[in-house]
Amino acid sequence: MYFLSLVVRNVYTRKVRSSLTGVAIAISIAIVVTMGVLTHSLKKTAANILHTANADFTVAQKGLADITFSSLEEKDLEAVGQYEGVRSVMGLLIAIVKVDEERPSFLELGLPASQLEDFGITIVAGRKYGEGAPDEVILGFRAAEQLGKTVGDRITLNQPAPHEYEVVGIYSTGQVYGDSASMLPIKRLQADQRKIGVITMMFVRVNEGTDIAALRKKIEDEHPQLATVQSEEDFGHVDRNLQLISAANLGVTYLALVIGSVTVLNTMLLSVFERTREFGILRAVGWSRLRVLLCVMFEAVAVSLSGAMMGVGFGFLAVKLLERSPQMIGVFEPDYPSGVFRNALAIAFGMAFFGAVFPAIRAAILRPLDAIRHE
Amino acid sequence: MNEAAVAPPAIEVIDVEKTFERGLVRALNGVSLTIGRGEWVALVGPSGCGKSTLLHLLAALDRPTAGRILVNGQDLSSFSSMDRYRRFEVGLVFQLHNLLPNLTAVQNVEVAMFGNRLSHHGQGERARELLASVDLSHRENVRVPGLSGGERQRLAIARALANHPSIILADEPTGALDSAAAVGVMDLFRRIRAERGVTILLVTHDKGTADAADRLIHMRDGRVVDAPAVATTH
Repeated sequence: MYFLSLVVRNVYTRKVRSSLTGVAIAISIAIVVTMGVLTHSLKKTAANILHTANADFTVAQKGLADITFSSLEEKDLEAVGQYEGVRSVMGLLIAIVKVDEERPSFLELGLPASQLEDFGITIVAGRKYGEGAPDEVILGFRAAEQLGKTVGDRITLNQPAPHEYEVVGIYSTGQVYGDSASMLPIKRLQADQRKIGVITMMFVRVNEGTDIAALRKKIEDEHPQLATVQSEEDFGHVDRNLQLISAANLGVTYLALVIGSVTVLNTMLLSVFERTREFGILRAVGWSRLRVLLCVMFEAVAVSLSGAMMGVGFGFLAVKLLERSPQMIGVFEPDYPSGVFRNALAIAFGMAFFGAVFPAIRAAILRPLDAIRHE
Repeated sequence: MNEAAVAPPAIEVIDVEKTFERGLVRALNGVSLTIGRGEWVALVGPSGCGKSTLLHLLAALDRPTAGRILVNGQDLSSFSSMDRYRRFEVGLVFQLHNLLPNLTAVQNVEVAMFGNRLSHHGQGERARELLASVDLSHRENVRVPGLSGGERQRLAIARALANHPSIILADEPTGALDSAAAVGVMDLFRRIRAERGVTILLVTHDKGTADAADRLIHMRDGRVVDAPAVATTH
């Protein structure tokens, strides 16, 4: 019999308790995995937005909870375009409208028709909208699939005043956020949203050799209401939700570690108490304190890892459910980075260590004679 | 000169005292005795006379308050590890056998060998060999609750022999057995001593069990009251 076989047998012998502990750990790990995947995926979506239109950096209103709340004036667009080193600047208006009960948060993007190609739009069916066309819209291919629309169909978007548009084209951008949206002339959208002369964000391209950091600093210094974003790390300056989600992710991770550790602690303490006599016998036949300690620790690791495996499965399931929720369609495309699973594994080991270290020491320092006499 | 004559005794207890409750209870009061190598000694006396306390000191399950214990000539307090001492120098047999109920017979023997120099395969072979020597080969995959009282005690003896100890310390090994099983266990002790030359110190109340020994040491009130000289060396 191997030492590890004994460890597994000890866990299996108390299968109901071990299973319940494993389930508690699994729930903690599932939350960690779900939050991890969610945070990572949203960051990735943010990064995709930043790299839209091959922009070197993006400009939005500073200090908002959500980038879609950003409100800049077209004169800001002109002002940024005047800076030395700026090759081009593109203004985009974003609106969130309701299509129906299943799609309460549908994205409309307003952009001049002449800038669609520069923005990275590829028309895959039909054509692009006309510059001054008041009733034409193009749909991202994901949005078209979700809405069951194709070129020539009509769609009513529930703006302040519902308006019917003709779908004149289907487009692709290569990123889920854009492909799950609709696009129409910016002037039309500004009028619909009663935001004349307003844009949400701008995409800036610079000439080769331009010191981007210096340019960004100059823009921010001279326009304190603006924030420039070049990387995912900067994204928090214009979208605190992502910062909040990242913070929540970290908080949940620590909380899961604490809850899991306390669960393991409770289980292992009870187990050690019940098995006091057994540990006394093992010490009496020559087991060292270290071996007893390792036995308890390994048992905790076995339970925690089993729970972690279940937790990863539950996490996948939770992410799949989230992906299908109406609020997340078009915003969230799950991505499963290995870091999330490394994190889950580390937390499972952390739970085992912090939960079992005290019971294990307690078992190891038992006096064999007292332990053998324990009833 | 005879080698046995120069070899130190298996056990030498010199003026050992053991007190509990901060000295209020004196369990052993200046106990001295010698047990020769290969000898079979029964430690007898009324309940509370200190027999088991002395056995626990010899098994390094407890420490004396005063005095010295020498095992095979080495002072017990000089052993670097009491765990190693319990594993390799002595084999313990308890009245209530103290086996691990969730394990099979062979596994109960194997756990006592974890960490010794034998390979996993070697440990398995050794465990089976020991079970054969105590006539439990046919029960090796039976868990403890499925064994009779006599079988459990024979299994406990097999476990005690797992790491080739030179001394077997047995605390009331027949105390929980019916007379037929008790006879079987005593026969087994006899056979083990003959085959392996181990020293056996057995604590008992039972006169029949005690009579099987080479020599009886009587204790009362924490003292040795009658300890005939070493009878034989093997």
